[in-house]
Amino acid sequence: MAGSKTHDYHILPPDIVPLATTFGALMFTTGMVLLMHKMPGGHFVPWLGVAILLAGMFAWFSKIVKEAHAGDHTPVVQLHQRYGMILFIASEVMFFVGWFWAFFDFSLFPSTLAESVAGQWPPKAIEAVMDPFDLPLLNTLILLCSGTTVTWAHHALIHGDREGLKKGLWATILLGVLFTCIQAYEYVHAPFPFGANTYGSAFYMATGFHGFHVLMGTIMLIVCLVRSYRGDFTPRQHFGFEAAAWYWHFVDVVWLFLFVAVYVWGGWGYPTH
Amino acid sequence: AAASPMPAYSTPAAGAPGAQAPVAADKGAGAVEAAGNPLNTSGPTADAAAPGYTPMKPTPGIGMPVDGGIGLQKQFSPFGEYGRWIHDIVLIPLIAAITVFVLALLVWVAVRYNRRANPVASRTSHNTLLEVAWTLVPVLILVCIAVPSIDLIAKQYKPAPKSALTIKITGNQWFWSYGYPDNGDFEVNSYMLNLPGQPVINAGVREVGSKPWDGPSHMEVDNRLVVPAGEPIRLQITAADVIHSFAVPSLWFKLDAVPGRINEKVLFIEKPGVYYGQCSELCGVKHGYMPIAVEALPRAQYNAWVLGHPGGLIDGQKKLIDATAQAPAAGAGETAVPADNASEAVPAVETTSSPAA
Amino acid sequence: MATTADHFQGHVDDHHGHADHDHKPGFFARWFMSTNHKDIGTMYLIFAIFAGVIGGAVSGIMRAELMHPGIQYLGAVASFFGDDASDFNATLHMWNVLITAHGLIMVFFVVMPATIGGFGNWFIPLMIGAPDMAFPRMNNISFWLTFAGFCSLMMSAFVPGGLGNGAGTGWTVYAPLSTYGSTGPAVDFGIFALHLAGAGSIMGAINLITTIFNMRAPGMTIHKMPLFVWSVLVTAFLLLLALPVLAAAITMLITDRNFGTTFFDPAGGGDPVLYQHLFWFFGHPEVYIMILPAFGMVSQIISTFSKKPVFGYLGMAYAMVAIGVVGFIVWAHHMYTTGLSVNTKMYFTAATMVIAVPTGVKIFSWIATMWGGSLEFKSPMVWSLGFIFLFTVGGVTGVVLANGGVDDVLHDTYYVVAHFHYVLSLGAVTALFAGFYYWFPKMSGRMHSEFLAHVHFWIFFIGVNLIFFPMHFLGLQGMPRRYPDYAEAYTHWNQVATVGYMIMAVSIVIWFINILYAFTAGKRAEGNYWGEGATTLEWTLSSPPPFHQFETLPVIEDAGHH
Ligand code: HEA
Ligand code: HEA
Ligand code: CUA
Ligand SMILES: [Cu+2]
Repeated sequence: MAGSKTHDYHILPPDIVPLATTFGALMFTTGMVLLMHKMPGGHFVPWLGVAILLAGMFAWFSKIVKEAHAGDHTPVVQLHQRYGMILFIASEVMFFVGWFWAFFDFSLFPSTLAESVAGQWPPKAIEAVMDPFDLPLLNTLILLCSGTTVTWAHHALIHGDREGLKKGLWATILLGVLFTCIQAYEYVHAPFPFGANTYGSAFYMATGFHGFHVLMGTIMLIVCLVRSYRGDFTPRQHFGFEAAAWYWHFVDVVWLFLFVAVYVWGGWGYPTH
Repeated sequence: AAASPMPAYSTPAAGAPGAQAPVAADKGAGAVEAAGNPLNTSGPTADAAAPGYTPMKPTPGIGMPVDGGIGLQKQFSPFGEYGRWIHDIVLIPLIAAITVFVLALLVWVAVRYNRRANPVASRTSHNTLLEVAWTLVPVLILVCIAVPSIDLIAKQYKPAPKSALTIKITGNQWFWSYGYPDNGDFEVNSYMLNLPGQPVINAGVREVGSKPWDGPSHMEVDNRLVVPAGEPIRLQITAADVIHSFAVPSLWFKLDAVPGRINEKVLFIEKPGVYYGQCSELCGVKHGYMPIAVEALPRAQYNAWVLGHPGGLIDGQKKLIDATAQAPAAGAGETAVPADNASEAVPAVETTSSPAA
Repeated sequence: MATTADHFQGHVDDHHGHADHDHKPGFFARWFMSTNHKDIGTMYLIFAIFAGVIGGAVSGIMRAELMHPGIQYLGAVASFFGDDASDFNATLHMWNVLITAHGLIMVFFVVMPATIGGFGNWFIPLMIGAPDMAFPRMNNISFWLTFAGFCSLMMSAFVPGGLGNGAGTGWTVYAPLSTYGSTGPAVDFGIFALHLAGAGSIMGAINLITTIFNMRAPGMTIHKMPLFVWSVLVTAFLLLLALPVLAAAITMLITDRNFGTTFFDPAGGGDPVLYQHLFWFFGHPEVYIMILPAFGMVSQIISTFSKKPVFGYLGMAYAMVAIGVVGFIVWAHHMYTTGLSVNTKMYFTAATMVIAVPTGVKIFSWIATMWGGSLEFKSPMVWSLGFIFLFTVGGVTGVVLANGGVDDVLHDTYYVVAHFHYVLSLGAVTALFAGFYYWFPKMSGRMHSEFLAHVHFWIFFIGVNLIFFPMHFLGLQGMPRRYPDYAEAYTHWNQVATVGYMIMAVSIVIWFINILYAFTAGKRAEGNYWGEGATTLEWTLSSPPPFHQFETLPVIEDAGHH
């Protein structure tokens, strides 16, 4: 700082956004409790909390973009960001480990005592599962495809091809949205319910959290698209884009595991819908 | 609190506990007031249901903690003796020695290398031999511990012989129920006796100390788990609501009662007697008030106890009880009849023959 | 990991474009909008002390209740939290609420914020010669999320949680007691408290790892980092990889409770033991999260007051790495009585005992550091010596519990309570006090009274040993945990424990008097008030250090070649 600063690190001025964002988070969790227990305020407090949370995140990321333009993101600061993103993705991987753990516990050791399961997987109460080689396979192809389009966008960006960047991003986003729509369609038409037994629980929560991550990834890509229209990103400095792309690939890989484990292996030899 | 009652459970019976837990949609639907589980008030059955059976009087200090005690309880099962040996003879000396060794070193460096005794510090920061030693020696110590320890685990998991008596134990909020599928499938509920001078914990249950055979407060129950001594028993443990844990320290026994699972383990009690334990997994408000009392009887008396129950069968039959073979004949001092926790030096006080007080 | 130091060596180009921050921001901006690692560290420490007083007071109520058999004070406590005082169930429920709150507060809101958030924030940048953390703004939200978690936990105490107010699930929040076994909003508040604090900790971990990897001063290779930095690095990795699994597990609790899933509900084929696996996959690394920074602090202190470099530096560093790695594959030693298969139980017995080896390396290396040294018994040193002894006692009883066949009789008894308080309340907290006296003058610029610090130590030492040593006896005799009431036979040692608590409480008062003394009458602290033994970079700065230190990065010479 102080003009006397002789290093490349990024020293920040005080900032109210973290406290405000936290306020939104606490309001959201508190509101969720109110909502879940049908207590007064439950119908608006959580949504107000989410709004504050999102506004906080918007303000936060806007600042980061501004700081990037101001030249604060020296090579070492960009290195920080790379580390930060990789570590964040590592923690996300562990989050999914939890859901896969539950899935494999239920599928490898189905309860013999619960009538609705009766020692088999998929459980006795499940009459049909989704045909993995129907829409899920299509979704797999869509996501794999979107992995290539985001790479296309990246290559275009590196080679200074702005149009290619935009096209690649558009394609990726559209594929992402298509994936989400198909997933939603599947949920609506799935032959088994959400609660009731472990199949529904493991299936919907694991794929649901994946879907939520697809949504987050799509939003990141949309932000990148908007920024690329505004002329952001240079062939040498475009970490915002790279982070979104990494995240997208991570979401992709999680899907492959879900597809193989939950859809294909987990429903093998079962009547399909 | 009344707005958020515990869900009601339809039946405490053993068997398919998974099916008893309420399905998701019903959660919280059964309105039960703060008194808790309805079974809690309706459950207690009359003491000593079997005619001609008088509960055994426990011996102070046997099968229960002793005042100011500092070690493991005296053990009455083969695993217990083995486990206690591992703890007292292998583990305690080793860990005490390690701790004393570390303490001695600390005292030594404090005395020998304080600033006055050693004004100039050396700069040594490596000594490969030493470093290898303090890695290898602990490894060796651990191997010495692991050998008997793993052996104990292996032994504990030997399944019971096919012919062994099976008893089903179900943990409930907040009592135990004991089912006897091999003896006509009757079931006994076991509640803690109320504590004098404290609010009523189990309605309809008497206070501890009101019968001559009552053991320690907080541990004595209205109906004990009665089992035969001197033979392997297969315990099948589950729970009807939340997790409980069936634990009896003097029998080296602790196994969780998990809803949706049936855990199985062999229990072998060497001597007739009364052995107390307590629920050992947090299970709600009266977790502290659902003790376990195991009364081990010689086979003949166990049979008599079984037959005294409505529906009680031995080898699939309801045998006629021969009045002479039955309890009244067994007077005090009779060889076959254990007076109580039949450890060596125990005087025979109460016997099975004494009429219910 | 290759150092990035050369990357910035000789980088002196001016970088303008910021307002001048030589002077500190105003009160609100400084404390509510902070992006300064030292201020955030201070907030963490004050928060941890505040939470520690609450958690300690809760344990005081617990010890009072346990002084005699029967129920004495719980009814009054329950009515304080809005329960009907004549409702005996609510009274008993209050016990479970107290132990749950005590466990959660001490673990998540005292030890973690103090070691990682407080001392980590303060001294990681200082020790590696960095001007701040890698992500100063994220640093701030880490703190506030921890604080928000605490607020959520406090809210839970006043709303229904089953048969009384508050969450009474134990700090382990086992299902199904925590799902269909505890209706009402209290448990949801408690779970969200963990979500919030957990999110804060994950971000803190990302921040610390990035800082340590990328911001070491030129010349400070990874093998020259002070051991406290190593310890926090390993800890941060444990946090990063363990906490998300807890997040998944408690999210399953939330959906089981509120949205009809059956992860842990046997009626739908769910498995309560699954929750325990997920919890302990986090929970065991968590106990090393609490102790590794303590190891790091003790290493610095022992070296300082022996006037010697740490013995076997590399062994010390990699022992912590080994503890961290092995710590991930021993979790089921908390579940020996749940009905594990025989092979599983044998595996976890063997794997758990392995951890005693790297831990032994640490103990003996500390002693070897002192060996041949010129020891000065300043208060941090005395606390550290206390730590080594008390931690050893707690560690060896851990080895007893590691034996699956022996744990059958000790699990969920006071033996376990004794074990973990020896490593936590007598281990981690003792190290916290050591670190506190070591660095307090550095942070505040004022010297505390060494006399009072020693008195604090001895009274604390006697008090906590009286509280927790007898608990081994109670456990061996079979007294179960989480009981508000007990059989007469357990009275004697419970009374001793409660008396021990009273003695310990006196020492805490002395500690506060000492802080008060320092701020009112304490001498101004020099930059390096411990003298020649203190060699890490924080001692090259003034006390307290400037608001922004190392505006020109220090360069570490390649002298201490090994
Ligand atoms: C700081 C926290 C901390 C630390 C460091 C440890 C360290 C250890 N713990 Fe502990 N533990 C807890 C906190 C901690 N624990 C908590 C909170 C619980 C209970 C949770 C709950 O249920 O609520 C628990 C419970 C617990 C259990 C479950 C008990 C039960 O519920 O039945 C077990 C079982 O294996 C165990 C084992 C160990 C072992 C082997 C170590 C080892 O790491 C110890 C290693 C150290 C030494 C051994 C001493 C130094 C070494 C030497 C001097 C070398 C020579 C030594 C030998 C050769 C033996 N712990
Ligand atoms: C770090 C963890 C920690 C600490 C420090 C303590 C400290 C204490 N604990 Fe705690 N305890 C737990 C973790 C801890 N405990 C856990 C996890 C459980 C299990 C809960 C469960 O079953 O679910 C438990 C359970 C537990 C029980 C068993 C309850 C039961 O099973 O029914 C008892 C009983 O006496 C008890 C007592 C005490 C006492 C008297 C202290 C005293 O030592 C407290 C005295 C106060 C202090 C030592 C001060 C603390 C620190 C500070 C003020 C901050 C310092 C900060 C800086 C220097 C920066 N505790
Ligand atoms: Cu039943 Cu604890
Ligand atoms: Cu552990």
